[in-house]
Amino acid sequence: MLVDSLNMDPEAFHEGTGWEIKPEGACKGDVCVPLPDGFDLRSTAERLGMAIVPASDDDADPRMWAVGPESLTGRALVSAEAPELVLQDLDGNPWRLSSMRGKKVLLVAWAPY
Amino acid sequence: MTVSLEMSDPDASRPFIEAAEPTHPSLLDPTHQMDALFGVVNIPNVVWIDETGMIVRPAEPGWPPGDHYPEWLRSMLNDRDAQREAKAAEMEATDPELAAKIRGGQVRAAYPDAIRDWAAHGAESRFAMTPDQVVASSQDRPQDKSAGAAHFGLALHLWSTGDRDNALAHFREAHRLQPDNWTYKRQAWSLVGNEAAGGGELGRFNQVPTPGQEHDWPFESDFATDAGATPAGDYYPRTLDV
Repeated sequence: MLVDSLNMDPEAFHEGTGWEIKPEGACKGDVCVPLPDGFDLRSTAERLGMAIVPASDDDADPRMWAVGPESLTGRALVSAEAPELVLQDLDGNPWRLSSMRGKKVLLVAWAPY
Repeated sequence: MTVSLEMSDPDASRPFIEAAEPTHPSLLDPTHQMDALFGVVNIPNVVWIDETGMIVRPAEPGWPPGDHYPEWLRSMLNDRDAQREAKAAEMEATDPELAAKIRGGQVRAAYPDAIRDWAAHGAESRFAMTPDQVVASSQDRPQDKSAGAAHFGLALHLWSTGDRDNALAHFREAHRLQPDNWTYKRQAWSLVGNEAAGGGELGRFNQVPTPGQEHDWPFESDFATDAGATPAGDYYPRTLDV
């Protein structure tokens, strides 16, 4: 997730990372991580093992940061519940993985290289 | 469904999708969400998800049946398998560990049958994992890999805005922090290789320095060097129990 400010609200964090901020903490699938001090980007990212990397070495004005995916469990998946995936097709039509519920899905990653 | 891990505009993926005339959704993933969300680190990679939205096999190397491959491709794959087996046999006595790694790749021919087995038997298929098995066998991800993914995200953005030098610096950091992520490497190599090739239908498959201009290549490695030094069992690790 790319951000131009480290002040972020919980809704934007959910949209960008898939982690929803609930009363019991930051939650994804069937996993919740308590946030004793409530939500802010830096402390929540730290608890979830998400790296925050500035776009430039200019500490005063890096202009942009990237927040990496969670690493708190040491595995790419914290839950077997498939995360939401929102993508577009060639014509720009939006598609959501959750729209496939009720069918078996084979998600095949390829690339033109 | 298929997902193209290519940051460039849709036209980079279009000819391949249109040639395949898919009846399933064919999607584009220009920011490589598949890597961050599912632990995809190479292509092709496949994730199995059941009717309730539970992953039953995490990202792993997988292929369609080879029945539609053109003869030249089938013969190339057969030749490569024969060369690998010869190399493994040669190493057997002196370096049995390497021999096992060479032989340890995913079994391409067995993959479609495993999918068919799951399609027919669902959770009863011996290839369907429990939720705990799925999580435990997904890619490992220490904090360094989160940082690698963050650098890669910045690199894609900076490249798309024309800030080439800073993009390359972030690509290099991503490669250092996630040395086993082949999509992070192949995406970056292909962007630079495509420039050198002047684009064209196959420009993105050019992932090595141009002969005589090696000093212009901005990465520590390239496809030929890295893939050549990686045993099959590390490049497409065997995860299917067949």
